[in-house]
Amino acid sequence: MDKLLSMTGITKAFFGVSVLKGVDFDLNHGEVHVLLGENGAGKSTLMKILSGAYQLDAGAVVLDGQPIDFATFTPKAADDRGIVTVYQNFHLIPHLSVAENLSLASFTHGRGFIHWKQVYAHANTVLQKIDFAIDPKAKVRDLPVSQKQMLEIAIALSKNAKVLIMDEPTAALSRKETETLFKTIADIKARGIGIIYISHKLEEVKLIGDRITVLRDGLTVATVAARDADLQQIIGLMIGKELSRVHENRASVSDEELLRVDGLQNRHFAAPISFALHKREVLGITGLVGSGKTELAHAIFGVDRLDAGALSLAGRLVRIDSPRKAVALGIGYLPEDRDADGLCLNLGVKENVSLVYLAKLKSLLFSVAQEKRTVAGLVDSIGIKAAGIAQQVKYLSGGNKQKVVFGKWLSARCNLLILDEPTIGIDIGARGEIYGLIRQFIAGEDRAVIFISSDMAEILEVADRILVMAGGALVAELDPKHTTKQEIMQYSLRAVTV
Amino acid sequence: MNQVETSQPSTATRASAGIRGLFRNQGVSMLVILALMWVVLAFLSKYFFTVDNLFEITLQTAVVAIIAAGQTLVIISGGIDLSVGSVFACAAVVGGVVFTSTGNLLLSLLTTLGVGALFGLTNGLLITKVRVPPFIATLGMMGIARGLALIISSGIPIYGLDDSYKFIGQGKFFDVIPVPTVIVLVVYAIGYVVMNYTRFGRFVYSIGSNAEAARLSGINVPLVIIGIYTISGLLSGLASTIEAGRLATIQPAGGNGYELLAIGAVLIGGASTFGGEGSILATLIGALLVTTIRNGLNILGVNAFWQYVVNGVVIIGAVAIDQYRRRR
Repeated sequence: MDKLLSMTGITKAFFGVSVLKGVDFDLNHGEVHVLLGENGAGKSTLMKILSGAYQLDAGAVVLDGQPIDFATFTPKAADDRGIVTVYQNFHLIPHLSVAENLSLASFTHGRGFIHWKQVYAHANTVLQKIDFAIDPKAKVRDLPVSQKQMLEIAIALSKNAKVLIMDEPTAALSRKETETLFKTIADIKARGIGIIYISHKLEEVKLIGDRITVLRDGLTVATVAARDADLQQIIGLMIGKELSRVHENRASVSDEELLRVDGLQNRHFAAPISFALHKREVLGITGLVGSGKTELAHAIFGVDRLDAGALSLAGRLVRIDSPRKAVALGIGYLPEDRDADGLCLNLGVKENVSLVYLAKLKSLLFSVAQEKRTVAGLVDSIGIKAAGIAQQVKYLSGGNKQKVVFGKWLSARCNLLILDEPTIGIDIGARGEIYGLIRQFIAGEDRAVIFISSDMAEILEVADRILVMAGGALVAELDPKHTTKQEIMQYSLRAVTV
Repeated sequence: MNQVETSQPSTATRASAGIRGLFRNQGVSMLVILALMWVVLAFLSKYFFTVDNLFEITLQTAVVAIIAAGQTLVIISGGIDLSVGSVFACAAVVGGVVFTSTGNLLLSLLTTLGVGALFGLTNGLLITKVRVPPFIATLGMMGIARGLALIISSGIPIYGLDDSYKFIGQGKFFDVIPVPTVIVLVVYAIGYVVMNYTRFGRFVYSIGSNAEAARLSGINVPLVIIGIYTISGLLSGLASTIEAGRLATIQPAGGNGYELLAIGAVLIGGASTFGGEGSILATLIGALLVTTIRNGLNILGVNAFWQYVVNGVVIIGAVAIDQYRRRR
């Protein structure tokens, strides 16, 4: 059977930096072809060329037997030819309702009046197709992240796509929602639509993929059938080197407490929260979406008010009523949404990395030369890949952005780092580097890390001790060496009665 | 790892090598346009390129430039201050009343600055504590300050400011350099140092770029914002003393429309309306540009009303160039 999509010799460079060096990639009808690779390997660039957002420098693309003329290939043209992308950052209009978003394209037809009956009928048809319950009248900005994602997919489907590009589709989805998504994908495959699936969740790609292609440094390194794929081998192909682990050559956890949390209560918690954090410890906090993990981080970091409870740092009782206070006490917080809450995107690497350091400084003036030196040194030791410290952070890959946020706290001499889903949307190589940074961090005398993640496999790997949250309460404390994912999941699903 | 500095400047006006590089920076682009304008006007009229006229341009720029310096901070922080024109008038009026009743120049000047700062402080508090958006808060303050200026002065200009006051607007250091020019240079020198070498300046950029990230990094965002608007009010007051000195009168209707001129200068200089980008020096170039055009039109004998049209065209044109430049 003829291939649905065939990309050959794709070459692209930006400002003289070669990003794609002759990539070959093809897609069959009704296939899920997984595209793997570190950030910077060229996956996004390849997909942006396919969807008409970028021009290629050399190479050819043939869709359904028809070559694509890149001189006239705009995103709209890609859309018309049936190449539809479902993004991580949503293309929905937050202030409009679900139904309006679904009919947005058709608002340009007709004689200017909106036929509401048709709009809602169309919405119902589309939503039924993906077997997902969303109130068509609900405003998109009120929907939880997972529903927004499903909606994006629904919209993509309603456009009569031939090729669907899915970029990290399950990043914000729960297990059940992921299952629903996979069912939908099976449906889509049956209709002969080809799916290019980009994800960093390696276990998942084996389940959903038919073929897997690994990109590294702008070249296709391997294409294998998913069935036959050996994950360790694939990781090796992706990063080309050893993966760093948090627990290599580590000093052991101290008995001394760095932080004690006693009876924390506020409107987000169903029951008072108490636990201790020891020096040199990586405390994992896990649980399902909405279980209160981020709220706990916010409570400790001073973002949310406490109704009751006490916090002690190194034995001293402290009141943390603002992020500023927390920062002054040496606590750092890497937020879940690093773009929205952790980075000043249009400022440079330098301005971002020095931010907390400057916030803590007492003097009015600061030495620009000193700042440059400190940041350059940090960028070097952390391994932030950027075109110089003046480059605007918005141009960096996800992994490098996260390293910038990390660097921001490292430059400010903080002792307690709270990491909220730190490796979400980050490729395996950068993930390993972040683990390495964590390991380096806790080697210091009075340091500790709270590692929040809904990825239970990751928590088992990274944490010294695991706290499980469910429904706004702490439900279990587990030893990663003596527990399993199943047990963690069981606790996560427990409903709490107060 | 890469240590090479890239030719993409993050916030400061760093000129890069080559013509291409020059046009990457809005401030430099506008400087080039300014220079071109001077050349053209020099050809069109022999009166333009004289020492006297060039100083005259800096004089005429002074008032708007000083207000624009404060507005630069406001806009970089992602806000806007519509009240500067009215605060300009009210601060001058209150200072004028103090002057006519005490005859003490210093006291009068301090009052003017103080009143300006007070209005700015109030704006800042409204924005941070009461959570009124900057546009609304300063829009309301615009009316309040104008009304108070008219009430306090009963709508009557304050005449006959004596020579000591006039020195600020009409005096010359060493008989050559006009006092306002010096004041502008001092304000901008301080502004440059603040924005590039102080923590406060860095916080302004950070808050404009992402206020939430700034807050979560331990910056006292409300305090910085209050500081920004207070400075804006203070500088409006300072500008009004210069105008009072130049005209030797204080007009309660003065400063009308100056907020738009100031905002125009800041935007021509390449600041983004979304915040996080902008440069104090580029604002000065923007202010000079606006004044050069006005001065040029005067010298060429063009109908004064055309200035409004030209001003509007220049603002649209400059920001259009900026938008085009960003997309390349």
